[in-house]
Amino acid sequence: MPHSICMVSDFFHPNAGGVESHVYQLSQCLVERGHRVVVVTHAYGDRAGIRYLTNGLRVYYLPLRPMYNQATAPTLFHSLALLRCVFIREHVTVVHAHSAFSSLAHDALFHAASFGLASIFTDHSLFGFADVSSVLTNALLRASLGGATRAICVSHTGRENTALRAAMPPGRISVIPNAVDATRFTPGPPTGNPDSTCHDRAHLPRSVDRRCAGVTVVIISRLVYRKGVDLLAGVLAQLAATRSDLNFVIGGEGPKRIVLEELREQHCLHDRVTLLGALDHRQVRDVLVGGDIFLNTSLTEAFCMAIVEAASCGLQVVSTHVGGVPEVLPPDLLTLCKPTVRDLCAGVIAAADRLLAGKAPDRATTHARVRDFYDWRDVASRTEKVSNDDSSQNDN
Amino acid sequence: MARKVLYERSGLPDNHVSRNFLETLRRNVRVRKYSYWSVVYESGVVTQQLGSVCIFVLCWWLMETGTLVPSQLFTSSLALSFLGYYLYDVIDGGTGRRCSGRTRLADLKSVLIFLSFTYGLSPLLKTLTETISTDTIYAMTTFMLLGHLLFFDYGANAAIVSSGLSLNMALFASVCLASRLAGPLHTFTLITFACELFALWPLLQKKLKKQSTGCHGMLTVLFAVVVVTALAMVAPACAALAIVLLFLLSFLIPLWLVKLQLYKDNIHGPWDEAEIKDDLSGVLH
Repeated sequence: MPHSICMVSDFFHPNAGGVESHVYQLSQCLVERGHRVVVVTHAYGDRAGIRYLTNGLRVYYLPLRPMYNQATAPTLFHSLALLRCVFIREHVTVVHAHSAFSSLAHDALFHAASFGLASIFTDHSLFGFADVSSVLTNALLRASLGGATRAICVSHTGRENTALRAAMPPGRISVIPNAVDATRFTPGPPTGNPDSTCHDRAHLPRSVDRRCAGVTVVIISRLVYRKGVDLLAGVLAQLAATRSDLNFVIGGEGPKRIVLEELREQHCLHDRVTLLGALDHRQVRDVLVGGDIFLNTSLTEAFCMAIVEAASCGLQVVSTHVGGVPEVLPPDLLTLCKPTVRDLCAGVIAAADRLLAGKAPDRATTHARVRDFYDWRDVASRTEKVSNDDSSQNDN
Repeated sequence: MARKVLYERSGLPDNHVSRNFLETLRRNVRVRKYSYWSVVYESGVVTQQLGSVCIFVLCWWLMETGTLVPSQLFTSSLALSFLGYYLYDVIDGGTGRRCSGRTRLADLKSVLIFLSFTYGLSPLLKTLTETISTDTIYAMTTFMLLGHLLFFDYGANAAIVSSGLSLNMALFASVCLASRLAGPLHTFTLITFACELFALWPLLQKKLKKQSTGCHGMLTVLFAVVVVTALAMVAPACAALAIVLLFLLSFLIPLWLVKLQLYKDNIHGPWDEAEIKDDLSGVLH
């Protein structure tokens, strides 16, 4: 039975990130399966009103002002009139809200319940239970998920977390991982992208050209505290001092960038540490294939798309053992480390030695394995199943 | 039992709840067991600081009414300071001084510079708040002293603790009060006294507490007795209030804290944000 699904989240294109691409890819695959899908988000600058994306995917940029970190104000009612209008006009049968940080998603869940529509909530992040902000967000989540009929989490750890935070019976929460578009993250020379101009090339690390000169460690993440940038700085300082054959390429932007720049100044590492700044999503693959090891130092992570993208490009992945990370890749593709400088350094050195000794798995083989793990079409069919269960339950 | 992995399909439905669901949940991992008397003993720090604030305000009041002559307060507080200075070196056998590498001459120089500057600036400080209404001054002083008590470093490792802010608030209060006194000499005396009481005394107090447990307990009792008797002479009603407050602080609130531990329910699991345990001070600035 085809549904008319309304995806709601504050986070969507032109913003870039995990939730944004998840919503986009899932919508596209659901359209492909014959459902009618619209996306609702708030206006980004002058991008307000209705826009059409690939395959006629309709996006409503509601004229609401973002308040903090691209989330709208959590007032519950200021979006009511607009959401009602969209729900009626699009004959929506299922409301699918994304991300606990998005106020618009919470509003939509609440209004969906009052309109008697089936609603699904996808939780993309993990929260603790100790600090004030999580206590407040958890209370909000408990209230808004009271109306939601189903929830989807991206990892088993995420499900445990959501079940506790939202006081929801775990049987109503499904685990459906994120996926990676493996056709875009392929190993090979960084030329596949016709969009990249000479200017983009100049940005790429030199190590792309001089592979034999050593091992290149790639780090791509937003440079914020939660992504473990402080830890990364400690790791960089130690590795740069002990191993002269390691080069580092860091992609991403954020308030913690200054920490890395200071480190580079202080230890005179300009020739070995490259800071690329904010990367376009299409540049990510080219940066990844220029490296040999991918390092993730996140302090908390529900799923971690970045390590899957890196593994899909055939890189060796070293990551902190946090949240859902251990569930994402099999142990032979992923080196897990405790979130300490010593352990992470040991992990990177082990991976580098493996590479230099020629014992690292072949890039193409790794890519082929990762390609079979995750697929957006599979995610869409599993999500569809949740919608089916949900609406049949609602009909009774 | 289903393995918790995402890269393999187990064939079970996505919402299947297996037996290992929440098996990594941990409760009350970092809960500390408090014993009542140790909490009472530790609450002494708060009692002592409250005592310091009371003594400060009392001295101001006595100077305001003319009972206390500035020279008396100045000489006695200076004498006590020298005694404290001597004690500060004696109790740890001079190791602290050797580590810091400061000479006594340097200390004496700082004292002289501080005293002469305060003395020179006291006429200015005296007239600084002339245009401000006395009620405002009292209100500001009250808030500042409360703030001092709130942000004071009682030894807890919490975000609210800020010794710098706390000291600044106390000194601001002392400048406010000092400007209402009769003459520049009064102002000078009160500000010097405030520095001794709020800046220097806590240093010695902390060291004393570390060196001997008995001393800390005795000091607490001494502070409580001094405050209550002094208040009783000036304002009996305030003394009664102080007794109630001190009793609450030292006995009832610790009891409450110990009782509340029963209701502690903290949950931990793999979703918790990892803590960075390394010392990154060499890398981060």
